Order: sequence, then C-alpha cells, then structure tokens
Amino acid sequence: MEKCLGIISGANIENNFGALCVHRPVYMLPFAGRYRLIDFSLSNMVNHGIRTVAVYTGEKVRSTMDHVGDGKAWDLNRRFNGLFLFPPVSHGLSAKRTGEIPQYYTTKDFFDQAKENYVFINHPNILAKVDLNEAFRFFKESDADITFIYKKQSDPFGEYVNTQKMNIGDDGTVLNIGTNLGTEREFNMYLKMGFLKKEVFMKLVKEAIERGESDNLLETILINKDKYKLNSYEFKGHVESIRNLKSFYDANMNLLKKDIARELFYSNGIIYTKTKDEPSTLYTEDSSVQNSLVANGCVIEGTVENSIIFRGVKIKKGAIVKNSIIMQKSEIHENAAVINSIMDKQGIVGEDVRIAGSMLMPFIVEKKQEIRKD
Amino acid sequence: MIESKVVAMLLAGGQGSRLKTLTKKIAKPAVPFGGKYRIIDFALSNATNSGIDDIGILTQYKPYLLNTHIGIGSSWDYDRNIGGLRILPPFTSEDGGRWYTGTANAVFENIDFLDEMNPEYVLILSGDHIYKMDYTELLRAHKDKGADVSIAVMEVPWDEASRFGIINVDQENKIVEFEEKPENPKNNMASMGIYMFDWKQLRDYLIKDDENPDSDNDFGKNILPMMLEEGKKMYAWVFDGYWKDVGTVKSYWEANMDLLDPMNTLDLYDKDWRIYTRTRNLPPQYLARNSIVKNALVNEGCYIRGTLMNSILFSDVVIEDDAVVVDSVVHSNCVIEKGAKVYRAVISEGMTVKAGEVIGQEDSENIYLVSEEGISVE
Repeated sequence: MEKCLGIISGANIENNFGALCVHRPVYMLPFAGRYRLIDFSLSNMVNHGIRTVAVYTGEKVRSTMDHVGDGKAWDLNRRFNGLFLFPPVSHGLSAKRTGEIPQYYTTKDFFDQAKENYVFINHPNILAKVDLNEAFRFFKESDADITFIYKKQSDPFGEYVNTQKMNIGDDGTVLNIGTNLGTEREFNMYLKMGFLKKEVFMKLVKEAIERGESDNLLETILINKDKYKLNSYEFKGHVESIRNLKSFYDANMNLLKKDIARELFYSNGIIYTKTKDEPSTLYTEDSSVQNSLVANGCVIEGTVENSIIFRGVKIKKGAIVKNSIIMQKSEIHENAAVINSIMDKQGIVGEDVRIAGSMLMPFIVEKKQEIRKD
Repeated sequence: MIESKVVAMLLAGGQGSRLKTLTKKIAKPAVPFGGKYRIIDFALSNATNSGIDDIGILTQYKPYLLNTHIGIGSSWDYDRNIGGLRILPPFTSEDGGRWYTGTANAVFENIDFLDEMNPEYVLILSGDHIYKMDYTELLRAHKDKGADVSIAVMEVPWDEASRFGIINVDQENKIVEFEEKPENPKNNMASMGIYMFDWKQLRDYLIKDDENPDSDNDFGKNILPMMLEEGKKMYAWVFDGYWKDVGTVKSYWEANMDLLDPMNTLDLYDKDWRIYTRTRNLPPQYLARNSIVKNALVNEGCYIRGTLMNSILFSDVVIEDDAVVVDSVVHSNCVIEKGAKVYRAVISEGMTVKAGEVIGQEDSENIYLVSEEGISVE
C-alpha cells in the first residue's frame, strides 16, 4: 500500500450534534471510551501500510492539532512523508469558493511531490474496518479509475434516510450516487471512501476549478462519469455512520454488543489514539457495573448500567448511571442519577441531581457544565 | 526545575531471585506492578517528573524485555535531541569482557559516559523500588548542607529494621555510622538506596574502590563506609511517603493489594505526579451483565463475565462466566475459564486457568504463584 496516499476529508454537518460540536469538528467527537472518531480512519490506513496521510481539518482546528499533533500515536511522525495537516485556506481562489475542491487545489504541491500513484479518500465520520489491502487489490486488478466502497445496508426502520445511496449496474459499475429516501428495506450505502488514480484525481480537481460546475469532489466525478471507469467494492462488515446525535449515541451503545466491539476494536489491526497515561480503573466495595464499557483512570463507587465511561471519570457512592455516555474527566456526585444522557468532557452532575433524556433524544450536559442543586 | 546538572544512574540489572518464577525470564525492574506498570516505571517517572534530563540505565540480567519496554524512553519524554536516556549494558574492552560485579562497579565501568556528560551531581537510583519522590528536594537538601553525599532514608517498623541498612545520624542529620542489617539496630532509619553524590568526589572513590581487590564494589558495603571513614560530609535526607522494595512473592502480592486500600499513600491518580509506562493501546474494559466486580483495579482490554473481588487485573484478562477471582493479582493476557476459582494467587502473564479448576485457598495465609512451571505455594 506504499503506493497509495491517504486523504481524510471531513466536511461536517455540525448542526446535527447540538452542543457537542460547538467547539470541535464532528470527527473529533469522543467515542468508545477513549477514542475520537478520526482515530478509526487514521488507524485503519496506517494498519494497512499507508505511510502518507493528509488531513483536511476544517475550520475548528484547535482540538485536531491537540489530538493528532505530529501523528506520533499512529507512527506518522516520519522524517519524510507521514502526516500532513491542512487547515482551510481562505485567500486567493478559495476565498470565494467553499467546498473541498478548492482546498485540494490549494494543496496541489503536496500531490505533485508525492511519489504515490494512487489516492485513498475516506471520511472520518464513517467507521468501518475495511480490509484496504483487499480493496486496493480489487481496484488495481479491475483497472478502474475510481473504485467506490459501499455496504448493503439493511434499513427496515428508515434510520438511514438522507445517507448516500449508490446505484450499481449489473457488472458492478457505478451508475450514480443519490440520496437514500428509505424506499427499500436494503440499499447500497456509499461509505464515502474509495480509491482513485492520482492523475485522475488531479485532473478532476483542475477541471472542476476551471469549469466551476461544482466544488464537491463526488459531484465532479458524477458529472464526468462517462469519461472514466468507475466500479464498486462491497464491504461486508459492520459500519457506523455518525451523522447526527442519535446515530452517535447508537454507535456508542452498539459497542456493548460483543461482536461489534470485537470487529471495530480488533479486526485488521487495533485503533491507536493519543495516550493519557491514566492508571487502571478502581472499582470500590460499593460499585455495581453491568454491561458497560469503562476506560482507564476512573474511580467507580456507584452503579453503572448499559453505559460508556471515558477516561478519568468519577462516579461517587449512591450515584446511578444508565444508558449514558460519560466523557473524559466528568464527575457524578453522591446519589445523583444520570439516565439516557451524554455528558461532554469535564461536566459535573452534583449531589442528588437527577438528569434524564430519552434514548431517542439523549439529554446533553455540555463541556465543563456544572449542574448542581441549590 | 533543576538548576545544576544532575545525571541519574538507574541500577536495573538485579535478578530478584526471591521473586521466583516472576523473574525467570525478566529482570526484577521489569516485573509487572499495579495493574499496568513495571516496577522500573516508578523510578523513571520520578526522574522525568523531577526534571532530570539525562539518565543512564544499567542493565545486566535478562534485559530483553526491559529494553523493549524502555525503548528510547519516549514514554517518559526521554527521546530528546540533547541528553535523554541511554541504556548501558556491560561491554568488552581491550582487557576482555566484564560483567558488572556490583552496584559501584556498574557506575565505575561507565565513567567515560559520565565524564562526557560532565555533571555536577550524580544521582544513584534503583529500579527495584516502588515509590514517588521528588529528587529536586533531595538535591536542595544536598546543596543546603554542602554535602559530599546525601542519602535518602526512611523510617521502617522497628521489628523490620534488622532487614535494612540502618543509618545513624547526629542532631543535624549528619551520618555518623552505617549498620548493614544489624541484629540490634540503634535506630530505625533505613537507607533507600538513593544517593546524591558530588560527581568529582564519587569519581575518585569509584577508582579507589576498583583498585581494591577485596572490595565487593558495592555502594552500601564499600563506597559509602569508605567515604565516612575518610571524614566526608554525609547527610541523611528523610523521606516520608510510600516506599516498597518487593523482595518476595508475598511482599509483591501485598504491595499490589496496598493499591486497593482507599487510604493508600501511593496515589496513582495524582495528576501532578503521573506514573508513565509503555502503553498497549487496547480498547476499554467491558463488564458484562451479571458480572460482580468489587474492590478491584482493572486495566484496558479486560473482559469480565464472572466475579472479581479484592484483586488486580493487568491488561487483556478474560474472566468467563461463573469464574471467581478473589484476593489475586492476574497479569496480562490470562484467561480464567468458566467456573474456575482462584484465591490468593499471583498468575503470570499469558496463563490459562482451565474451566472448573480451583487454585489457592480462601482462608489460607499462603500465596499461590502460578506460572508455566506449575503452582508454587509461598
């Protein structure tokens, strides 16, 4: 895979995440007790031998810089190649045109200088442990210009409305990509990832800049679809598509299922993240924890059920946490109750306070918010 | 903040033979401790937290795992452009190959390294001990007294004093006498094996000691008594905190159990004095429905369906349905299969306790050490 560049481009719809994404891009959402969403995409590329990765950060770049840094956690702190962080450029050409194409164009030098002949683009909000070696082999052997990766997603309850739906011909060529309206019980969900020949990628970007038809890469590809050979690769594993608060909450809760957790955490290599050097978690005499995922550095004295507990959380005596996501360094004090809720980092729920949302609409405690009874 | 140049020399070559099979393949400093650490992490973290930029690690006994664990020291921020960490194993020279014959000899053999560093002070540390200490305080006391050597000491229970090197001092804490494991100790101040030396002085004495064929080349037995005899200014610096030298399997088990006591003074959760270690990047631990976990320290990657009480689990331990683990220390990658019962045990890395098997006894005084060689009762 050393012939392939990795690109993470995370155009986000942050409004769908309420208070959780005021200060951070969606791909920086804390996930699964100790990770950020972007860790999955970064780790999967690195685990498949991709050695050069470009991250288009979007505007809220501070938390990204802090977390990803020089890429050390992913062994991407190389003398040559390694990690490239590209914050948005807003002068010259891209001053008037927003969208990913102008951003790719402003980093043209990066692509020109790279020795790799292929590009793997993926979206950090879609978590899928795709075997990239196998997908890459398929892409090269089929001699396609572009290979899109999709999953046959069953959707009996219409949860995946508004995701991208791929229309595939009998021979596997991609006919078009549209928006899923939930009309079928099973549909081909486009995973916003795929391989391109670098020359094709560069040509598409330049043409799009000149013609001005679209500033979106996928749209540009579809406008020019007759000029190139597009095909599709099916991923058969588990996919989490984080696109709103509900899917974020459900994706966390899905990790309480053994098979899903095994696949996302272990298949095709483990997930790397910035380490925090927390000690182990201490469960005291009074604790009772059932069906929960707990990270290190916590002190648990209360009751926890069906929940995801991040690093360094303190749950005091008599407190009850149920069906909730409790992010890093939050504290839940004596006899408080937190039910169907998401607590952002360093929140505090004071003594005897009870908060509850519903599983469809979890209650949100904002970052560093303190809720106390007075 | 260290204003004068200090180089630390960390003695990590000890075998720790009384730890039995725990040190069969690894040196004592590499023995796992406290759910996610190795014993040497405490001294290394103390050094980096104290702002010591240069450290030499003296290895000798079965160093492979230790070398892997330490690497280039990046877990402790010792991967630097200037200074940093060096592993210093024994080496050959024109006079042939030599093993380190004692603690002082290990430092003597690396005089060239220290000369190149050219420090004002040399801090001798041991990789065998579990404690948190700010070495800058020892340095400050050393400078205030204008001492040639300062030795960290701590009060030990009177009935244990005869197991230690006891240090007798005058009212100013100036050392007047050493007693090595005395039968009738005059006091209960024990040496912790942590010494701050003036480098020029130490250099002279190392050479002098090496010239004496009868010497054991040991700091406690030879160098320090020789310096005292010659009237050097030697002071004791009293440390008041948690400190343990886990010599035996039982004391190893006890030191781990100390961490479950909410009043324990080795506060691992202290954000101002973190203990660093090489991490494995495992996912969080999972506690299943109907699992019972009480009074336990659990690390990443563990998967618990059974019962766990008064115990410490390292990473990636699986406790299957109806299995029971009580009063035990379980190292990484162990599996306790269905219905197995484990009491008062120390289980070495990678062991599987078969379904239905029973190890140890709940009301025993003994500790059961489980390794590839079977179960030994301690």
